[in-house]
Amino acid sequence: MVLKLIREVLKVGQATLPYPFTPVELAPGFRGKPEYDPQQCIACAACTIACPPNALTMHTDLEQGVRTWSLFYGRCIFCARCEEVCPTGAIKLGHDFELASFSREDLTIRAEFRLAACNLCGAYFASAKELEHVLALLDQAGLPPEDAANRKALLRACPECRRKMDLPRVKPLVQEAFNGRV
Amino acid sequence: MLLTEEKPKIGQKYVDALRQQFGWSIQEEAWQAPDQVTVTVELNSLPSVVETLYYQHGGWLSVVAGNDERPINGHFALYYVLSVEGDEQAPENKREKCYFVVRTLIPPHQMEFPAVTPRVPAAIWYEREVRDMFGLQPIGLPDERRLVLPDDWPEGLYPLRKDSMDYRYRPEPTTEDETYEFIDVEGEGIVQVPLGPLHITSDEPGHFRLYVDGEHIVDADYRLFYVHRGMEKLAETRMTYDQVTFLADRICGICGYAHNVAYSTSIERALGIAVPERAQYIRTILLEVERLHSHLLNLGLACHFVGFDTGFMQFFRVREKSMKMAELLTGTRKTYGMNLIGGVRRDILKEERTQTLQWIKELRQEVTDLVAMLLETPYIVQRTQDIGRLESKVARDYSPVGPTLRGSGFARDIRVIHPYCAYDRVPWTLTYKDGCDVLARTLIRAEEFFESLSMVERCLDTMPEGPVLTEGFRYKPYAYALGYVEAPRGEDIHWSMLGDNQKLYRWRCRASSYNNWPPLRYMLRGNTISDAPLIVASIDPCYSCTERVTVVDVRKKKAQVVPYKELERYCRERKHSPLK
Repeated sequence: MVLKLIREVLKVGQATLPYPFTPVELAPGFRGKPEYDPQQCIACAACTIACPPNALTMHTDLEQGVRTWSLFYGRCIFCARCEEVCPTGAIKLGHDFELASFSREDLTIRAEFRLAACNLCGAYFASAKELEHVLALLDQAGLPPEDAANRKALLRACPECRRKMDLPRVKPLVQEAFNGRV
Repeated sequence: MLLTEEKPKIGQKYVDALRQQFGWSIQEEAWQAPDQVTVTVELNSLPSVVETLYYQHGGWLSVVAGNDERPINGHFALYYVLSVEGDEQAPENKREKCYFVVRTLIPPHQMEFPAVTPRVPAAIWYEREVRDMFGLQPIGLPDERRLVLPDDWPEGLYPLRKDSMDYRYRPEPTTEDETYEFIDVEGEGIVQVPLGPLHITSDEPGHFRLYVDGEHIVDADYRLFYVHRGMEKLAETRMTYDQVTFLADRICGICGYAHNVAYSTSIERALGIAVPERAQYIRTILLEVERLHSHLLNLGLACHFVGFDTGFMQFFRVREKSMKMAELLTGTRKTYGMNLIGGVRRDILKEERTQTLQWIKELRQEVTDLVAMLLETPYIVQRTQDIGRLESKVARDYSPVGPTLRGSGFARDIRVIHPYCAYDRVPWTLTYKDGCDVLARTLIRAEEFFESLSMVERCLDTMPEGPVLTEGFRYKPYAYALGYVEAPRGEDIHWSMLGDNQKLYRWRCRASSYNNWPPLRYMLRGNTISDAPLIVASIDPCYSCTERVTVVDVRKKKAQVVPYKELERYCRERKHSPLK
């Protein structure tokens, strides 16, 4: 038994790596540190809703018209839900896993986005890049020009003004539904 | 004529039998799935109904869930979940097997219920937990100590009541001392040996107290739950259904994926979502990959505890291959994060399949050699045979699960009794032994390891093409169902009730070790103190760093602190007793 064991041990040789002096080989689909590209990001908040540990957060300052996106790697669980839900491919998981740091601040990344103001009342209501993105999508949708223009006008207004703009269109429908009792 | 599709109702005959015996006490029945029935019974008949199911219809207690249903129907509810498997004398194929949930309602002005524990001992921890978490008093429960809540937790604050507290609230400790009262064992020459609180073979620290006469253990008691993380409350108050899958991954550092599948399937079953075939195969493959590394870990530790550390190193060396396999198939070594409600997030590609099959071949050869070597080591059998006996009678009373139960002569595996994922489509053989000792439990793990290798191979060979995720379903408020998985240590079971705000109303997750701890006391009795770590390791509770052992001599009223390392050393070398 002992001889067999010794033979096995000799056959195997050294099983450990001199890590960290040699790199560790990772599987191609390994989920490491999320890499963020603020150029691609439209601050739509899809990732912050999906993120299970709340590593991704978003703060909207309606006074200043600024939305701050932030990622704290200290809470990240590398699940890649952000990558899955991102409509523009702005966040992707890389292979980096050595994130140890002496300062909490080093583990946080932030990006600030301008908010779009309502073209009627002037109140800030949505990320400007998100709005541009949606307007560009509408151009691709192949709608009749008049329909597209109407929709665009609606989108440039804040939800409150949108409701007011919609009123003339909705009113007859409501009246019909309630037999003119409204 | 209107044709309505009748879903099969497995378990009807047990409901009928209960109606015959208890009459009007059986109030209503509802099937959540073809083999899952919930029967509401009148409060006072609860113990008799559970006892009848347990001992007359071949029932095993899987979990008990308390639920604050005051916002829904004005009552507290208790759900006793039994896996009812039919008369044990009857032939295997004649038995009707289902999950039978006994539900009872408790009016909020009453706040008490008749305890089931005096009739069915397996309910002991569950009823203590329900008292801690909801303030429901089990009348007739002999053990009045807390189970889950810390001893310095304020009186009258019941965390899982819907109106009690925010999940972030951390009350100030009410006392400086640990006030837990251990059982009293008195007798000539009996010495108490406390192990812990930061201690023995468990990720969670636990405080063990061994009562020894010389070197022999007379009895044992333990206090666990020092690191209760409040996950159920967290899930119920902060997280969405999909997010909870990632939390379920983190319940256990070893069998997290089993919890993940148990949780996901509980929701899928409650909503009647059909999970694509391919996703079911992928889940099966990953569950078995998880079993590979878990069993190799336990086999390695078995070597370590009998002083065969070279074997321990060798098992851990080959275990690395199973970790790499998980990394290749899921993108990470642990906490796979592969499930969403409705399926899996990632497919298995051709190159991944080829590589996995290659590694399986290598693992089979390497582990065959290692296990042969382990069993040829002369003292292995000597140290494990007839040690830590779990008698079949005790096992029957306490509903332990997994290799702990299968080592005591019961061929009970959830993969066979209640097949889930693709287990009913892949041929495999169930292993069980009647040695009742540490050796039997260790051998079962070794055999299951090879069975898992074959199962992964077969799944990879036969899995159908197709989508891996079902989407576009709607969540129904207050639908509920069970999800269950045979994890490496035994049955993991989740009872989930959906809420009306995209969050769970109640999530009761029970890990396999929860059912294995209560009978441990009986396994320790009659053994020598040097075998204690070996016996605890044989139920394979999540292993972790350990701290120290205190030895109390009751006769001299003197306490002596022995480092845990010393006890572990004693277990390996069996020389120079720390008690002398």
